[in-house]
Amino acid sequence: MNNQKVEYKLTDDPLSLTFAALADPTRRSILVRLARGEATVGDLAEPFDMTLQAVSKHLKVLEGAGLISRGRDAQFRPCHLEPGPLDAATEWIVQNRRIWTERFDQLEQHLQRLKDTTDKETAP
Amino acid sequence: MTDTSDQRGELTITRIFAAPPALVFECMTTPAHLTHFWGPAGASTPLAGITVEPRPGGRFETLMVNDETGEEYPMRGVFVEFDPPHRLSFTEADVEGGMTTSIVFNDLGDGRTETVTHQTNVPPMLMSPEARDGLESSFVKMDAYLATL
Repeated sequence: MNNQKVEYKLTDDPLSLTFAALADPTRRSILVRLARGEATVGDLAEPFDMTLQAVSKHLKVLEGAGLISRGRDAQFRPCHLEPGPLDAATEWIVQNRRIWTERFDQLEQHLQRLKDTTDKETAP
Repeated sequence: MTDTSDQRGELTITRIFAAPPALVFECMTTPAHLTHFWGPAGASTPLAGITVEPRPGGRFETLMVNDETGEEYPMRGVFVEFDPPHRLSFTEADVEGGMTTSIVFNDLGDGRTETVTHQTNVPPMLMSPEARDGLESSFVKMDAYLATL
């Protein structure tokens, strides 16, 4: 179906992966925790009162979005925050805000020009 | 112009225009008007690249062209609401996560219009200034940490 195609395309896009990963509050908390320094699955499970399996699932999503990387140590595999995708997401939002601001600035000028023209036409 | 973020993680831009709602709405939905202002600074939106099908389910497409490089930025939206001169919304399926933009046109009663533009599907953590600041300072710390490795 068409829907599936769109779905695939959306999840395929790196920024969509970032946004999807960030949509979950637990995953955001994990990132904030990791911003303070690396942590193991066990470290992360503790404050969230979650099973290791549940935390591992979240970590997999974050890893898939490139938001974290994990060490090679087979037993602990400590997690590191990777700021790259977050920067890209922030940049996108900042840019979008800028576009609308400039667009409305120009609409303002356009409306003024329309008004000037009308005033001229209706002037005696 | 104010630019605030609410708790639902929506980007909200409030703006007042010195024109009645009907005219502002018309400008936002008529190719001959859109071509004059849709492209942000440094870009233009040729009339030929604008499609407006003024009804819910209709297409709302624009093509912004970078004045310097000629690079093209297509927007492919579909109107969800088309209710002149009160309300307009459209979704862009090919934007990250499927973004919805809605614009409410409030009649200020003195010939002016207040528009409230919402964009949804923006990650909440990045929208609140506190969260952003917090994150940024975290990154500064992290950069310092990484430098020690």
